[in-house]
Amino acid sequence: MAYILQQLLSKSAAQFPEKPAVWARGRSISYRELEEQSNQLAHLLRERGVKKGDRVGLYFPKCVESVVSMFGILKAGAVYVPLDPQAPVDRIGYIIANCGIRVLITRGEKRRGLDERTRESLEFCLVIDDARESGNGTGVVPWAMLSAYPGAHAPQVTLTETDLAYILYTSGSTGRPKGVMLSHQNALTFVEWCAATFHITSADRLSNHAPLHFDLSVFDVYNAMEAGATVYLVTEEIALFPATLASFIETQGISVWYSVPSALTLLLLHADLKAEKLSRLRTILFAGEVFPMKYLKQLADLLPGADLYNLYGPTETNVCTYYKVERDRLASMDKLPIGVACENTEVFAVNDQDEMVTRPGESGELYVRGPCVTYGYWADPEKTRKMVVPNRFQRPFEEKMYRTGDLVSLGEDGNYYFLGRRDSMIKSRGYRIELGEIESALLSHPAVREAAAIAIPDDVVGNRIKAIVAAHQPGSIKSGDLQQHCAAKIPKYMLPELIEFRDSLPKTSTGKIDRVQLTQDSVPVAG
Amino acid sequence: MQSTARKDQIREFIRESLASAKGITSFSDSESLMENGVIDSLGIFRLVSFLEDTFGVRIGDEEITAENLSSVDTIENLVIKKTRK
Repeated sequence: MAYILQQLLSKSAAQFPEKPAVWARGRSISYRELEEQSNQLAHLLRERGVKKGDRVGLYFPKCVESVVSMFGILKAGAVYVPLDPQAPVDRIGYIIANCGIRVLITRGEKRRGLDERTRESLEFCLVIDDARESGNGTGVVPWAMLSAYPGAHAPQVTLTETDLAYILYTSGSTGRPKGVMLSHQNALTFVEWCAATFHITSADRLSNHAPLHFDLSVFDVYNAMEAGATVYLVTEEIALFPATLASFIETQGISVWYSVPSALTLLLLHADLKAEKLSRLRTILFAGEVFPMKYLKQLADLLPGADLYNLYGPTETNVCTYYKVERDRLASMDKLPIGVACENTEVFAVNDQDEMVTRPGESGELYVRGPCVTYGYWADPEKTRKMVVPNRFQRPFEEKMYRTGDLVSLGEDGNYYFLGRRDSMIKSRGYRIELGEIESALLSHPAVREAAAIAIPDDVVGNRIKAIVAAHQPGSIKSGDLQQHCAAKIPKYMLPELIEFRDSLPKTSTGKIDRVQLTQDSVPVAG
Repeated sequence: MQSTARKDQIREFIRESLASAKGITSFSDSESLMENGVIDSLGIFRLVSFLEDTFGVRIGDEEITAENLSSVDTIENLVIKKTRK
């Protein structure tokens, strides 16, 4: 049995050496090649001083080398950190400094785009595309150097399942992203449950729609490796165009799909989907936001043979509950459950009296315990203590549990139902967004006096973001300038689509900005 | 319509309505607007509505592709092709 992630690859490489393991951008790599190249990369990293537990960043649009890099880093005993290639360089610089990345795998043009201080903080960059700037003293190592290292075996490193495998940075309430630390055990708890529940076999073709810094990717990549299947990385030229995406699914014969619901909604609305073209699609998983029932029903009608699952869980636990869509109940259902706990995981809701919720109809904050729960946030013990807390419901030994911040209710059917967030975190296109992070970006502009970011519910993307801003001098700043100012601080998916200027913002009786009022002003009244 | 005027309108819409909201100030006519992050999944459909409203063309779902919409140049070519019909 595998207890570290790279064993999944080694096992399949022995069993299916010539089978394609990863496909991206028209190119594929066999299991044997993936095993050998990741061994070579691990040797290169070790020889250049990467030690067990060191963080190595991945900073390039996804391609075959992404998966080689993930496994190469793990085999070196190190921890990989996927960085959003479209994020502002400020944010990338912050993450690199925050978790002490000294080695970056990137593209030449991405490396040149980093600010100088960040570039100088790196020991070296392994550059996957061009070698023009490489040479002694430049800190640039070309990817072609891999061939100089042995591919038959990985370097000898002692690892256990409790070692870290990767760190995923998510939106934080303080205006800075936070790094969720995930161990091999965290990942494998989820991967093994998926393998058993969705019966992934070597005949399957999995898509990878989510970006690699998004935890949905963990299933796509590692469950493909676990089963000896092939994972097809969906790049932007495909993902953004529904008709192109639909023909990709058909041509590549994708059998297992996992994405945020909005990707499926866009397919339904704009791809002229035909059931017979998608006949290979047997299992569709979605997570990351609430799937609007009307579109889920359309999807279920279109693909009567496919199993549909709603998966739920924050990055800190990966998936912790699931619900298999019951087709016979779907017509009469008005709310989709998040379901019940995955195997080897326990979830429970805790009410305001700090009691576990046991009766249907009651609601509370959802807590998670089990081997899926993160150790916490990199270099942030304070935030970790707040979210990864001692399990006060059992005393004999020390154990942690994760408080999700999500309010849920227990249904008559035994399923949990998602009600909303305790705080101001929202989802848009599946991305977690702290409205506070947007507000601090807006407020950092010298001309801004007050700012509030609000979410406007939207059927397709979950939420659209609007900002309401009061300037020190009315009329002194334009919406475009403010958007550009924010773009240097927060990722694109967090930028407000619309900025409304007012002389001042409405306040509640306690003097806080009245977000309820602002939201009511902005959301058209239904009916 | 003059070709330059049409192209200016396309470039202006992308700059004002899509790029500016992403904090991007400059892009060339041949640059991929997906790779640089100017156009995202929602931006695509705003762009299509703009082209339909401004140039009186109808763009089918099957025409919403990277080949047609990846840069200012390819978008202009699509509009020329559609208006000739």
